[in-house]
Amino acid sequence: MNLFSQAVISGLMLGAVYAFLGIGLVLAYRTARILNLAHGEAFAITGVAAALLVKAGLPLLAALGLSLLIALAFALSLHRFVLRPRADWPAATLILITLGAAFVVRGVLILAGGTDPVSFPALFTGMPLRIAGGVIPMQGIALVLLGFGVSAAVGVYLARTRSGKQLLAAAENPFAAELVGVDVERARLVAYGIGAILGALAGILLIPLIAVDFQSGLAMTLRGFIAAAISGMSPLGVLFSGIGLGLFESMVGAYLGALYQDPVMFFLLILVALWQSRHIRFGGTRRA
Amino acid sequence: MKRNLLFLALAAIASAHAQTARPILIGEVAPLTGPAATVGTRLNKASQLWAEEVNAKGGINGRKIELATCNDEGRPDKAAACLRDFQEKGAVMIFGNSLTASLRAMQPLVKNGPLLLIPSPNVVPPADSYAFQVSPSDLHLTEAIAKYMKENGLSKIGMVAATDASGEVGVESAKKVFNDQKMELRLARIDLRATDASTQLASVAGPDIKLVYSSYTGAGAATVVKSFKILGLPQPLMVSYGNMSEAFVNLIKDVAPPRLLGTSVAALVPDQMPAGAERDRARAFFDAYAKRFNEKPDMINLLGRAETDVAEAVLRKTANPSDYPAVKKFLESTPIESFHTQKFSSTNHVGLDASSVMIVELKDGNWIKAQPISSR
Repeated sequence: MNLFSQAVISGLMLGAVYAFLGIGLVLAYRTARILNLAHGEAFAITGVAAALLVKAGLPLLAALGLSLLIALAFALSLHRFVLRPRADWPAATLILITLGAAFVVRGVLILAGGTDPVSFPALFTGMPLRIAGGVIPMQGIALVLLGFGVSAAVGVYLARTRSGKQLLAAAENPFAAELVGVDVERARLVAYGIGAILGALAGILLIPLIAVDFQSGLAMTLRGFIAAAISGMSPLGVLFSGIGLGLFESMVGAYLGALYQDPVMFFLLILVALWQSRHIRFGGTRRA
Repeated sequence: MKRNLLFLALAAIASAHAQTARPILIGEVAPLTGPAATVGTRLNKASQLWAEEVNAKGGINGRKIELATCNDEGRPDKAAACLRDFQEKGAVMIFGNSLTASLRAMQPLVKNGPLLLIPSPNVVPPADSYAFQVSPSDLHLTEAIAKYMKENGLSKIGMVAATDASGEVGVESAKKVFNDQKMELRLARIDLRATDASTQLASVAGPDIKLVYSSYTGAGAATVVKSFKILGLPQPLMVSYGNMSEAFVNLIKDVAPPRLLGTSVAALVPDQMPAGAERDRARAFFDAYAKRFNEKPDMINLLGRAETDVAEAVLRKTANPSDYPAVKKFLESTPIESFHTQKFSSTNHVGLDASSVMIVELKDGNWIKAQPISSR
């Protein structure tokens, strides 16, 4: 077995997870200007619900579809019934509300599924593929292809299509956007919906390779946040930051050891934050 | 005068009755939510079962057990606050049913009592303390692995350990034991948030390594097992003590590698125990637990029972369980009957040792005594 090849494969799978979660977070942020700390709950809800439904005897595809709908309903309800009526509240308060929502989900998941980790069978089965001394399961291939593919598609949708541009306009200047006929609230609802579907897809593709429990949501939000922050909250940038982060983290783990992963990753995050804030730090203009 | 005497006598009887009827407060610090909830809820169930059984029989010396559980969420600061609260309320004993970091935070706080019972293998209490460990220590578990390796003619092991406090303890034990036994240890650490363990396994499971050990517990342990299966590694994989549960078996049964081994107290497989009182106790607990909670008990539940056996012995056999120095002396000099006899001493506060550990193997969804590695 080749350690380098395995680290690349592992990094690509991890990068796809970063991309899946990062782009949803960016989308919600860019349209509503709120960092949704309950974003990763779509992942946890989908995972726990699918595991319970499969255990209850539902066919896998039906269980996955139903779980995705539950996650979608949660995200849409969060926006429609919790955040939207409080749209004039300070952003910091709304962020705390999303954190509260995440803890509510945790409680509900404990009641529904208990505290033990759960999982469900893979959607894509078959012999794992062996490439250059590394091994990747079929589900892993699907995760990589769909993770980067869907994230790229969402990026292109935002940058190139009329409705995508409306979503971004709703965030840049909601009042001006409304004046030119953009339904800002609908745009935000769509953003939350897309984010939830991406989070749920990440769950559907990743959880068969690991396990999920009631507390997985916040960890996934954190992953998405790191990728989103490094990309500068850019919908297309998050795709590249996801790939980069996944590969970087995997290589650090393989060659330096997992004990170095967090210090190196967060040091990188600080460096990027400093780089991105250079205009602010030097008086609002570029440094000479 | 006569009336006064009668009044005093009645008051004395009433007071004595109040004393005997007052319940015995046992404090339990357990993570019922948070990352270690699986451990906390299982130990809590064993404590609950014990309190219910004792109270159903009228209590101990006429006093009922009042089990108060404080959820520390696996957080050391909260665990310390829970313990202080129990001390203020006059708990005669504390069940330290939490994680390594929480136990380390609680241990210094019981300098003058009360008794702190610990089922975790990761915290070895000093002999001058009021803390007593009812499990074999992590060092004992590692010694049992080394013994199994020796019996199978192995001299190299690959190990995957988490980057948390428990992982740290596992690594320390492994370095010490395998070094003493002149065995080669190939080690990789895994982050708690890892979504894949293939890189770690690729770095430790070379063709010369005939056994891979994962000291990881919980959801992360499932990630290691699944990655192991995906890589198609031919070696047996051994998982740690904390994974000997029904929940873990359910989680990995469809993706388990051809041979999945584990470390456990021998009582997890009562059929392998010699006939006698210890085996009967283990079986009685399995039956009572299954009846009460409608689920199969596991290793963690068993350790909870070991803890309550020690607690019950103290409450029944000491004149005053709140006399902490006397209780300490009692435990240090009296073997405590359980599914494995707990033997503490004035120089050792760990009740079990490597002789109570069995290497087990998953077969048809059940843990049985592990077969030799060379047999396949």
